[in-house]
Amino acid sequence: MELLPQALMDGILLGGIYITIAIAFSLTYGVMHIIDFAVGEWIMFGAFAGYYLNKVTGLDPFLLLPVVFIMFALVGYLIQPVIHRVLSGNKGNPLLMGLVFTFGLAIMFQGIALTVFGFYSNSTPSVFSEGSFFIEKFGLSLTISSIRLAGLVYALAITAALHYLLKKTNFGLGVRALALNRESAGLMGVNGKQTASLVYGLYVGVSAMTGVLIGCILSVSAQMGTEYTIFAFFVVVLAGMGYLAGVPWAALLLGMVQSIFLIYFNPGHTLLAVFAILYIILLISPRGLFGRGV
Amino acid sequence: MKDKSIRWGLPILLILIALPAVVQDTFFLRVITEAIMWIGLALAFDVLAGYTGYLNFGHGAFFGLGAYTTAILMMQAHWPFALALPMGGVLAGVGALVAGLPTLRLKGAYFAIATWALSRAVQQLALIMDITGGPDGMRLPSFLNPQFFYYLMLAIVAVTFALLWFLLECSPFGLKLKAIREDDQGAMALGLNPTKLKMQAFILSAVPTGILGGVYAYWITFIDPASTLGDLVSDQALVMVVFGGMGTLVGPVIGALLIFAFKTLFWAYLSDFQLLYLIILGAVIALSVVFIPNGLWGTLRGLRSHKKSEEKKDESLAAKLPQNEGE
Repeated sequence: MELLPQALMDGILLGGIYITIAIAFSLTYGVMHIIDFAVGEWIMFGAFAGYYLNKVTGLDPFLLLPVVFIMFALVGYLIQPVIHRVLSGNKGNPLLMGLVFTFGLAIMFQGIALTVFGFYSNSTPSVFSEGSFFIEKFGLSLTISSIRLAGLVYALAITAALHYLLKKTNFGLGVRALALNRESAGLMGVNGKQTASLVYGLYVGVSAMTGVLIGCILSVSAQMGTEYTIFAFFVVVLAGMGYLAGVPWAALLLGMVQSIFLIYFNPGHTLLAVFAILYIILLISPRGLFGRGV
Repeated sequence: MKDKSIRWGLPILLILIALPAVVQDTFFLRVITEAIMWIGLALAFDVLAGYTGYLNFGHGAFFGLGAYTTAILMMQAHWPFALALPMGGVLAGVGALVAGLPTLRLKGAYFAIATWALSRAVQQLALIMDITGGPDGMRLPSFLNPQFFYYLMLAIVAVTFALLWFLLECSPFGLKLKAIREDDQGAMALGLNPTKLKMQAFILSAVPTGILGGVYAYWITFIDPASTLGDLVSDQALVMVVFGGMGTLVGPVIGALLIFAFKTLFWAYLSDFQLLYLIILGAVIALSVVFIPNGLWGTLRGLRSHKKSEEKKDESLAAKLPQNEGE
């Protein structure tokens, strides 16, 4: 039992990072009605970008975050029109085709990463990597590594920024209008194409930035993408599809499950546990933990 | 439709039956056997993806389920192959029933990722369980008779094709599935039961896949989680169907033949660049979605019917013209 507070703490610290991925991910779904299979691969490429930029420039990964964001947001902004073209085609089944397209991208990205980076696993060094806080109170002892704490601070900052963007700006109003009803939003003067490109760019940028952090906290490898795609999906479905307010809770739950399996059980079984939970939740309440999904 | 299928299907079947008598080269026979297996896998994938509109990225899990069931029954319970093989199909069907119960409630992208995550979980399970031999996989007794496996594979795939042709092209079942694909609310309003039909399609897709997995296990004599439960089975079935043409039965056959031929040549001549194959596979999927969304067969058929309708237009115009002159 004495390990439990530590497991919960680790879970919160880890779960915070998943929030950023899942919010951007479900935002893209809301606007483009497409689930991006390549989400994990964007994270993976972001992690590698952080790793190599750090190696070349020697700057701390946290300072590199804006650079990585701009780089990847640009890539996402430029790729989105292709996805838009697939989705708005009148041949075949556009929605399925969009899905197949991102799936193809994911396979291609994986192949490219394995070819270029190989099978090795690395980790990005940061100033926060070494230190840790040790708290002893009420007979409990907790160790908080400073890099994980920095990760949580990052996650809160990004979540707050996204919240501001969505609720307080004209751009956010347009995004929410598009998610609600694409045609009406278009009639009210929202430029659907432009907004979708921006949202996709934002999502790719945030995913890549989070990837940099995951590279610092956990590790960087070419095969890491698959895992995070499953995690992003897990959080979004558990939260209820399209219900953004549920995302933080679902993300924290995922973090808990992971850290509890790491401490008490075999970490190799985490994926099984994640899927078992997902399966049961879908059987009981297909609209997510809160029953508020679409 | 019916006489056309017999006109084309029968000669092809006869040629394929006579093939081992002509081809003595066992390597070539092996390649053709595997090509036939991929045709079967692509066809089964298309039942759900093309006809029902549900992408099952966990298709490989059924293949692995069939392979492992057959292998375990043969090795641990000492069943004969003839009994163990159908059990592979049965278990794949049961697996589809259990997996379909929650996942078929999901739509579109969510279904795709749920099945994908499920197949990852099944792979993890095979890696940690004792009965499957974990990451070391399982060895089966070798039965070295290439002709036997060729005919077995051919028989299974031919029966699958005939069954699917009958169910999907010549009976209301195919139309019902297409109705769900186009508009499941509308299909429900017309008195169809989408949940039941989707489940039937899911099982119809899983059973042949499981049986093919069982044959594969006995044929290759070695299975492990990476080769039978890995991503590659689903990925390749997907690219074959998308490239060949979704929602048709001829498309997957064409796609499977072309992609498999490419894969065989690629691995034969460029075996040092196996990772490159992954890139090409992904690029082929992405590019065919952008440029030929209906697949090769769908595009060809579209061109042909376009030409026909233009000819008809010309004829009807020509028929009208003299009348006008007469007046």
